[in-house]
Amino acid sequence: MKIQVGYVPLTDAAPVIAAAERGFARDEGLEIALSREPSWATLRDRLALGHLDAAHMLAPLAIASTLGLSGPQADLVVPMGLSLNGNALTLSTPLWAEMGAPGGATAEVAAAFARVAGERAQAGRPLTLGTVHPFSCHTYQIRLFARLGGLDPQGLRLVVVPPPETVDAMATGSIDGFCCGAPWNSIAVEAGLGRIAALGCEIVPDCPEKVLALPTRAAGYGAPLVRALRRAGSWCADPAHREELAGLLCERAGLGAPANLIARTLSGEMMLDAAGTARTDPFYLRLDAGAHAPRPEQAAWLMEQMASAGQLAPNAALAARAGAIYRPDLFAAL
Amino acid sequence: MTETSLTVAVIDPSRARAAILEEGLRAAGIGTVAVIADGPDLQVRVAALKPDVVVIHLESPSRDILEQMSSLSRQAERPVAMFVDRSDRTMMQAAVDAGISAYVVDGLRTERIRPILDIAIARFNAFARLQRELDEARTELADRKLIERAKGILMSRRGLTEDEAYTLLRRQAMNEKRKLADIARAIITAADLLG
Repeated sequence: MKIQVGYVPLTDAAPVIAAAERGFARDEGLEIALSREPSWATLRDRLALGHLDAAHMLAPLAIASTLGLSGPQADLVVPMGLSLNGNALTLSTPLWAEMGAPGGATAEVAAAFARVAGERAQAGRPLTLGTVHPFSCHTYQIRLFARLGGLDPQGLRLVVVPPPETVDAMATGSIDGFCCGAPWNSIAVEAGLGRIAALGCEIVPDCPEKVLALPTRAAGYGAPLVRALRRAGSWCADPAHREELAGLLCERAGLGAPANLIARTLSGEMMLDAAGTARTDPFYLRLDAGAHAPRPEQAAWLMEQMASAGQLAPNAALAARAGAIYRPDLFAAL
Repeated sequence: MTETSLTVAVIDPSRARAAILEEGLRAAGIGTVAVIADGPDLQVRVAALKPDVVVIHLESPSRDILEQMSSLSRQAERPVAMFVDRSDRTMMQAAVDAGISAYVVDGLRTERIRPILDIAIARFNAFARLQRELDEARTELADRKLIERAKGILMSRRGLTEDEAYTLLRRQAMNEKRKLADIARAIITAADLLG
């Protein structure tokens, strides 16, 4: 059976790409045609209108699409997660200097950030931070980071910047920082433009990031696809395959980064600044089996974040509909 | 119906396609039509133009930027909603098939948007057809050049006449069930390699 699977070029699209290119789909009798999408909106619309049979999707966007909050309403289910974490918050080198180059824990960095952001907001020149889509954990992580430092997120100007454009936007000074997935933070650091202020997992541990979104009409290929992606995800997480995977992503995913840099984002050996300050966190990006089970509490948390960002008015009916999108029962049945 | 009071923004990575759409919308009597280039200050320029409708190519990465304008619509002075008359899935499907996505200000009636979308779909499809024809013409020309070169090689190496060389090529193509141009390419490669 031949299916079209959409993805956006990011390191965490690895399980989908590996399933297509390393035989995991074939073992399940599936032939995956990969479709690289230029934006989350395009991916979402193509999935809703049936051009795609499945997609690598931002966890909150799968919910928003089903609730009709974003784009054409779609009936989606999330039978598995593809990744936890993987984002980072990068601040421009001048902003980092203005913050006094805070060392140490995330709380301390957040406090320094909040101080500068507060001053700027008071002066009528709020800091501008880039996120990848309104319905993304990137948006919520920026907001939570601000709160961690004691700043009301209303004091920030959030703008959407597509990941491949983040580095240019920082270079031209149109943004003071951004929250984005790998490898774009590392590319900005490598270019000497920014400083990774916090890893996503330091703001929200085990943050639900990308999921497999399937239309409810995915008859016949849902179960084999989930089986293939679970095996592919575990293969991707195995350090023994890191080099091969980095090469595969380099050539197949359109990441615009060299293989060694992608390999670092896979292993969580992050370079925080151009001077080579390193931080290693094995949970920086999780593709392993622990990231796969779709947990209803993840959906509930995402709904809370959406409500807090003013994207929806919470009510019991909405919460119930959102909870039904996550399908641990389908996952457990395999 | 002329819509002299409407402002439409066109955003498309292809300048040629944007120009064709712009011309079509002008001809239909749309009041203001502006082509906005993809780029970092897109949001600022869209906000300054205050369009009633934004027609954007589906493949434009800037779509996510416009999504923000729609998600923040409650605060915005002129709220923008994703075009989707959600009741009209056929229209939406036709637009997406043609490579179009559109965003409209909240409250604009469907009857006013539909002619714009119709024009956009017709123009985008015509553009795709032209592109296809151009590609075919290019391939045909390139193929003809290959066949001429292969004929020349056969004529000089084997002392054949032009007709004999062509007949040989055709017979080979029929026997191997391949395109004439493929056989020609194989002959040229062999000649290049073997000198």
